[in-house]
Amino acid sequence: MYMLSGRARRFESAVGALILFLLIATAVGVYFIQRDFDMARFGIVSEQEGGFLPVGKAETYNTDNLYEKIDGKAPMYQESGFVSLATQRFANKGNAELGLEQYLYDMGNTRNAFSVYSRQKRADVTDLNDVPFGYKTSNAIYISHGSHYIEIIGFAESQELIDAMKGIAQKLVAQLPSGEKDKIPELDFFPQGTVARSWKLQLRDAFGFDGLSDTYSAQYKAGEQTVTIFFSQRSNADDAMMVAKRYSDFLVTNGAKTGEIDSEILKSAGASILDFYGSAEIVFATGAFVGGVHEADNKQAAEKAAEVLIDRLKKIND
Amino acid sequence: MTEPNQINPARRQLLVRGAKAAASIAAAVGLTYWLIDSQGPSGEEVTRNDAVKLPDFSVPRKDGQTISIIRGQDRAKTVNKAIELLGGIERFVKPGDVVAIKPNVGFASPPILGATTHPDVVAAVVRLCYDKGGAKKVIVIDNPINDPASCFAISGIGKTATAAGAEVLMPKNNLFSHTTLKGGSLIRDWPVFYGPLAGANKLIGIAPVKDHHRSAASMTMKNWYGLLGGRRNIFHQDINTIIAELAMMVKPTFVILDGTGTMMTNGPTGGSVSDLKKTNTMIASCDMVAADAFGCSLLNLKPSDLPYLSLAEKAHVGTANYESLKPLMADVT
Repeated sequence: MYMLSGRARRFESAVGALILFLLIATAVGVYFIQRDFDMARFGIVSEQEGGFLPVGKAETYNTDNLYEKIDGKAPMYQESGFVSLATQRFANKGNAELGLEQYLYDMGNTRNAFSVYSRQKRADVTDLNDVPFGYKTSNAIYISHGSHYIEIIGFAESQELIDAMKGIAQKLVAQLPSGEKDKIPELDFFPQGTVARSWKLQLRDAFGFDGLSDTYSAQYKAGEQTVTIFFSQRSNADDAMMVAKRYSDFLVTNGAKTGEIDSEILKSAGASILDFYGSAEIVFATGAFVGGVHEADNKQAAEKAAEVLIDRLKKIND
Repeated sequence: MTEPNQINPARRQLLVRGAKAAASIAAAVGLTYWLIDSQGPSGEEVTRNDAVKLPDFSVPRKDGQTISIIRGQDRAKTVNKAIELLGGIERFVKPGDVVAIKPNVGFASPPILGATTHPDVVAAVVRLCYDKGGAKKVIVIDNPINDPASCFAISGIGKTATAAGAEVLMPKNNLFSHTTLKGGSLIRDWPVFYGPLAGANKLIGIAPVKDHHRSAASMTMKNWYGLLGGRRNIFHQDINTIIAELAMMVKPTFVILDGTGTMMTNGPTGGSVSDLKKTNTMIASCDMVAADAFGCSLLNLKPSDLPYLSLAEKAHVGTANYESLKPLMADVT
């Protein structure tokens, strides 16, 4: 049997030693990272707040096991760019049953976080003034901050809990990164008269139509009526025209009937109005925008809102 | 020096090793190819020696006593009345019976949020089974994936059920067995929380009325999802089929649908008290499809909004036309 030459043998030994060294270095690195593992890396608060102490260890979830925590709601997050979730429970020092739990979702980017925040926003809430996107209910606080979506849920309706939740929220917001890049300029595209903080962002399948992605909607006050206005910025005017046409066709396919537009402004803009089982739907394209009014109870209010929106979007196009 | 036409020994060895490596790769590829099932599942019954079939826990139907709908705020009173109108617990539970109760304990969430079955309803049914039904034993079961102990503790169900005399059985690996639903396309060789049911005579499902992000509504039929083991989240991709198949697989004695507070938005987890609406309704039914069809009205939905209802109807699980069953109605103040 032939033996390797001395030079080849030395080379082979050197390669083997290098591989062994890399494996050992990796193991040592993993050991030190794990030994020094700190949940604060996730930005989660794991220290006493007011009269509330952390219960158990913080938990983390990824795309594979998110369903273990939130089951049937997991797909909504996963379809919106979900990266990870960290949770931590707290209990009152004097009453273990008075508790709360914080949920910190890393959604990857600002739009994803804002989308899940806005789509779940409750009605009749108190907006938080010290953050751009946040509100509280009688037992919970919800915030969209940078690429994170935060829920702090109290297990009862109590002022003591609300105070603790506010403290945790302030700590979270202070330690999570956020800056200029985390602003959402599209929210400034809504016209005057839009109901403050009523925005929603549907990343896909807005109003059940798979062609409407990245769609912003909000409530608009048209006189005594409140209607939902929406827009989606496309890559160019041709694409916007095509999406508007496809959306109209989608509505007709699902039972809508084409109606007559009274507004000359909307007529000249090529808008279409449809009667969808008693509610008015308006769709138009202007520049790179698809826009319109969704499920309005009053046709006149719908046309008025569409006029204002189309005027605003035209100015942005210009 | 190497002579012309003569191979260097080191190079020869390299070639030999290269050939061996290539042969190994070829063998691995060949083995993989040999193991590939190009046909996929045949669609025939999956059979295994230890496969189980869930017992049929239903009782004979009585015309005019299939579904009751009670209005009122006090859960203990409304659930008692709902069962009374169906003929009383004595119609369903006989002395010496072992009764399994399956509430929704899917989340570590307090009763105030309505994401889980309210403990007051569970406690009331446990007491009925013992006090009027003469049950030998009542067990309370569910398979919450995330930390069952926390789910039973924070939902309040563990404490109240135990206080009422029931035994709470947490999921353990040895309590799961594989089953295949005859004619099913999803429940095939799948683990179910069978152990506690094997020794039970009766099964009562108790579910809250909830909005659900994927299936639009979570009620009595969806409640059986908690009997599944494994990575059951894969079924969310075909949620209507799995709910219908669960209703085909589980034949309960009767079900309770608690619409005292309905989760109208952000289901199935909710999180805010403002997700709930006081709808003050309790339903007891021997027909799950009918119960859920009525439950739609509490969520401002129509039965046709829930495709799984028509799938279950086609499988003869029950009827979505609950009015045809002449529901027994009452108010409890």
